Amino acid sequence: MSAPAVLARRAMARVGLYVFVGLVLVFFALPLVWLVTTPFARTPSYRVPAPSFTLHNFRILWDNPYAVRSIGNSLVLAGGTAVLAVVFAGTAAYALSRVRLPGRDAVLYAVLLLSSIVTGTAAMVPIFLMLFQLDLIDNRLALVLVLTGGLLPSAMFILKDFMDTVPRSYEESARVFGASPFQILRHVVAPVVRPGLATIAVWAVVQVWGNFLLPYILLHDPAKQPAAVIMYTFYDEGGQPNFALISTFSLLYSVPVVLCYLVVNRRYGFRFQGGIKG
Amino acid sequence: MLFVAPALALIAAFLVFPALWTLYLGVLKYDLAGSNAAAPQFVGLGNYRDALTDPRFANSLLLTVAFVGLSAVLGQNVLGFLLAAVLRDAASWVRGVVNAVVLLAWILPGTVVVFLWQALLDRGGGTLNALLGTPGAAWTLDHPLATIVAFNIWRGTAFSMLLYSAALGAVPRSQLETARTYGAGPLRTLRDVVLPHIRGHVLTNTLLITLWTFNDFAPYMLTGGGPDHRSETLPVYVYRTSIEGGALGYGSAISLIMLIVNLAIALFYLRLLRRRSA
Amino acid sequence: MAGIGLSGVTKTYPGGVTAVDGLDLTVHDGEFFALLGPSGCGKTTLLRTIAGLEQASAGTVSIGDRDVTRLAPGQRDVAMVFQDYALFPHMTVLDNIAYPLRVKRIPRAARHDRAREVGAGLDLADLMARRPAELSGGQQQRVALARAVVAHPKAFLFDEPLSNLDARLRLSARTFLKRLQRDLGITTVFVTHDQAEALAMADRIAVMDAGRIRQVGTPREVFGRPATSFVAHFIGSTPMNLLDATVTGGRLTLAAGTLPCPADLPDDTRVTVGIRPEYLTYSKDPVEDALAGTVGIVEHLGSSSLVTLETDGAAPVGVVVEEGAEPEPGTRGWAVPRPGRVLLYRAGGGDLLA
Ligand SMILES: Nc1ncnc2c1ncn2[C@@H]1O[C@H](COP(=O)(O)OP(=O)(O)O)[C@@H](O)[C@H]1O
Ligand SMILES: [Mg+2]
Repeated sequence: MSAPAVLARRAMARVGLYVFVGLVLVFFALPLVWLVTTPFARTPSYRVPAPSFTLHNFRILWDNPYAVRSIGNSLVLAGGTAVLAVVFAGTAAYALSRVRLPGRDAVLYAVLLLSSIVTGTAAMVPIFLMLFQLDLIDNRLALVLVLTGGLLPSAMFILKDFMDTVPRSYEESARVFGASPFQILRHVVAPVVRPGLATIAVWAVVQVWGNFLLPYILLHDPAKQPAAVIMYTFYDEGGQPNFALISTFSLLYSVPVVLCYLVVNRRYGFRFQGGIKG
Repeated sequence: MLFVAPALALIAAFLVFPALWTLYLGVLKYDLAGSNAAAPQFVGLGNYRDALTDPRFANSLLLTVAFVGLSAVLGQNVLGFLLAAVLRDAASWVRGVVNAVVLLAWILPGTVVVFLWQALLDRGGGTLNALLGTPGAAWTLDHPLATIVAFNIWRGTAFSMLLYSAALGAVPRSQLETARTYGAGPLRTLRDVVLPHIRGHVLTNTLLITLWTFNDFAPYMLTGGGPDHRSETLPVYVYRTSIEGGALGYGSAISLIMLIVNLAIALFYLRLLRRRSA
Repeated sequence: MAGIGLSGVTKTYPGGVTAVDGLDLTVHDGEFFALLGPSGCGKTTLLRTIAGLEQASAGTVSIGDRDVTRLAPGQRDVAMVFQDYALFPHMTVLDNIAYPLRVKRIPRAARHDRAREVGAGLDLADLMARRPAELSGGQQQRVALARAVVAHPKAFLFDEPLSNLDARLRLSARTFLKRLQRDLGITTVFVTHDQAEALAMADRIAVMDAGRIRQVGTPREVFGRPATSFVAHFIGSTPMNLLDATVTGGRLTLAAGTLPCPADLPDDTRVTVGIRPEYLTYSKDPVEDALAGTVGIVEHLGSSSLVTLETDGAAPVGVVVEEGAEPEPGTRGWAVPRPGRVLLYRAGGGDLLA
C-alpha cells in the first residue's frame, strides 16, 4: 500500500471514531437534557425548552402534598435499610469471619446465590402475599425488613472480606483486657472496617432509593410511598402530565444519588460500583 | 451465635421462604379474590400446563428472550466494550464527558429515567420527533420492543463499560505493542491479544447483565407491557396476572420458572467464579 | 501479685495437633520467667492457654491461688503483649494506652490521666496524640507495654515482644524491659525463641521442645548443665559439641581422641559427650587427654574466634580461641576440656548422665 493511502485510511479511521463517539454522546445525553433544562423552563412540556429561566416550578413542587413528603419517605426507607443492613450484615459477617465451621463458605455462597435468584421481580408474588396475609401492606417497617433481607447476602459477603483482614490479635488483646464481644465489635472491629461499613451503607441507600417494584406493591397509601412510586403516579395518572411538578421533582429526587456517587467515586473510584451494583 | 441470628432470620423470611412458598403456591389454584381466595384448590401441575399452552406466556417468553438477547447480550455488551476500547486512548476530557453521561444514565432512579424517555419519545412534543422531523410518530406504540431494547441499552451500558475498561487496563501494553510491531491490524490484535485476556470478563459481564435484564421491571413503567402485550416481558406478565389480575397460583408458577432461569444463570456464574479463584 | 501454676496442661487443636503435652510448671510470684524453644514447639500456645485465649484440653491453670482454667481471658487479670503488638490503628497512642481502663468503665478524664502518667514513664509523653502507624517499631513496642502496665494485672504475658525490632534496638529494649519488670515486680512470662535473650533477661528459663518442658532452671544452670542433649544443643550462641563416644576402662574413646570419663560407667557404654566450645582450650602442640583435628574454618566472633577442628569421618569439634591466637587453617590442633566441663548424655539424644 502506498503511503498516502495509509494516511488516508488512518484519517478515515479517526473520523469514524469521532463520529462514533459523537453519536454515542448524543444517544446518552439526549434524554438527560430534559432533566436539567425543564425544571427551570417557563412553560415546561415534553419538549426540551427554549432557554428561559424561572424558579416558579419549584414553588409548585413545594405546594404538592405528596412530593416533598415522598422524598422524606425515601429517606426513611433508605436510611432504615442502610442501618439495618450495616448492623445485621456487620455482626453476621464478623461472626462468620471468626468462627471456623465446616461448610461455612458453602453456606455463604448458597445465600449469595439465593439473593441473586430471589429478586424482587421473581419473588413478588410470595412476598406480596406474605405481607398481605400478615396484614402488613402499608407497613414501612415490614418493607424495610424485606429490602434488608434482599441486600444482606451481598452485604455479608463483602463485609466478611473486610472482617477477614482485621488481625485476630486486635480482638484477643481487647479480650484479655476484659472487653465483651459487643465492646470488641464497637471499639475495635467496627472502626477498623469503617470503609467497608460506609461502602455497604452507601450501596444500600442507592439500591433502596431507586427501588420501585417493592414499595409499589407493598405500600398503597400515597402518604407513605417513597419518591420512586410517587414519581410514577405523577405521570401514570393519565391526562396531561403536570410538567412543572414532574420536572422539578425528578431533579430533586435525582440529586442525592448523584451526590452519593460523586462521594463514593472520589473515595473508592469506579471499581467499587462495578463490583457492587445489582 | 447471637451475631448471625438477625441476618439469618431476615434471609430466611424474605429469601428462603418466598422461594419455597413459590413452589407450593405454584400447584394451587389460588386467587386474590373470589371463591379460590378462601379455599385454594390443589391443581398439581395444572398451572404449568396452563402456562405452557397459554399463547400469552409463549409470547412473553419469546419477548423476554429477544429483550435480553438484543439489549443485554448484544447491546450493552458490544457498546460497553466499544466504549471502553475507544475511550482508552481518547483525550481525557472526551473520556470524562462520555463517562459522565453514560454513568448518569445508570445511576439515576428508574422512575425518573423512564419519564425522561417518555418525554424523549412522546408522540406530540417529544424531542426525538422534533429532531428527526417526524411529528406524530408514536415510537412506544409502533415499536414497543425496540423501545424497551434501546432504553435498556441506554440504561445499563455503563456497567459493561466500567468492567471492560478495568479488563482492558489489565491487558499488558507490551503485548499490544508486540502485536503492532509485527504489523497486526486492530482486528487481529483484538482476536489474538485482547480477547484471550478478557475472556473471563466477557463471560462474567454477560451473565450478570443477563441476570439483571431478565429481572428488570422497567419495561412495565415505560410501556406497561403494551400495546397489545407486545412488550410484555416475564416480570411484567407476572405482575399483570398475579398482582393486578389476582391469579396468585398461576403467577407463582410463572415466578418459579423465572426463579429456575435465575438459578441456572447464577449457578453458571458461581462456577465460573470458583474456577477462576481456584 | 501472684505466681502461676500449670499442672498437667495439654492443648490439642481441633486439627489433631497436640501443641502442649501434659505440662507441669510453676512460675513464682514476681519472677521474670522465659519460655524458650524452637519455633513450633508450643510456646505461644502455652502462653495463650495461660491467658485464656485457648482452652486447655486437660489440666489446670492457676493464677495466684485461683483456679482460672475455666475463666474467660478478661477475668484472669493478666495483660498480654502480642508479637505484632496489636495496637488499635484507629486510636491515638493515648487512647490505646487507656483502653484497658475504658473496658473497666473508668471515666475518660481519669483514664487519660493514668495513661499519660504511665506513658511518660515509658518515654512516650511526646507521642500521645499520634496513631500507631506514625510510630517506629520501638515506640510501638513501648506503647504496647504501656497498655499492659496500665491494666495493672497480676501477670504479664509477652509473646516474642522483641522479635519485630532490629538487632541494635533489641539490645536496648532488653535492658529496658528487664528494668521495667524489676521496678514493677509483676510476675512475667516471656516467650522467645532466642536463647541469648532468655539467658540475658530471665530469672528462670523453661526450655520447651515438642510441647514438653525439657529443663527448668536459672540461666546459669541451663547454660552450664543442660539436662538433655537437645537443651545442650539449643542453648549457647555457639552450639555445644556433641560427640559420640564409648566407655573403655574408665576412659571415653572418641573419633578425635580419648578423654578421662567423669563418671563410673560400665565398659562399652555408648554415650554422647557434650563440651561447649568456650570450655575447650586450644593447643597447637600435641597434649594428653585432648581431641585432635585439622584446623578447618576460623570464624571471628569479635573478641574471640570459633575454630573448627575437622576429624576424619566424625563430627567436627568447635573451639573458642582468644583474639590473636587463631591457628592457620590446615594445621593440626588439639582441644583440651577444662576440668569439670565434660558432660555425658545417654547416646541417641538422651538425658544427662554426668
Ligand atoms: N490455631 C491452631 N490450630 C491448629 N494448630 C495450631 C494452631 N496454632 C498453632 N498450631 C500448631 O501448634 C504447634 C505449636 O504452635 P505455637 O504454639 O504457635 O508454637 P511456637 O509459638 O512455639 O512457635 C505448631 O505445630 C502449630 O502448627
Ligand atoms: Mg509463637
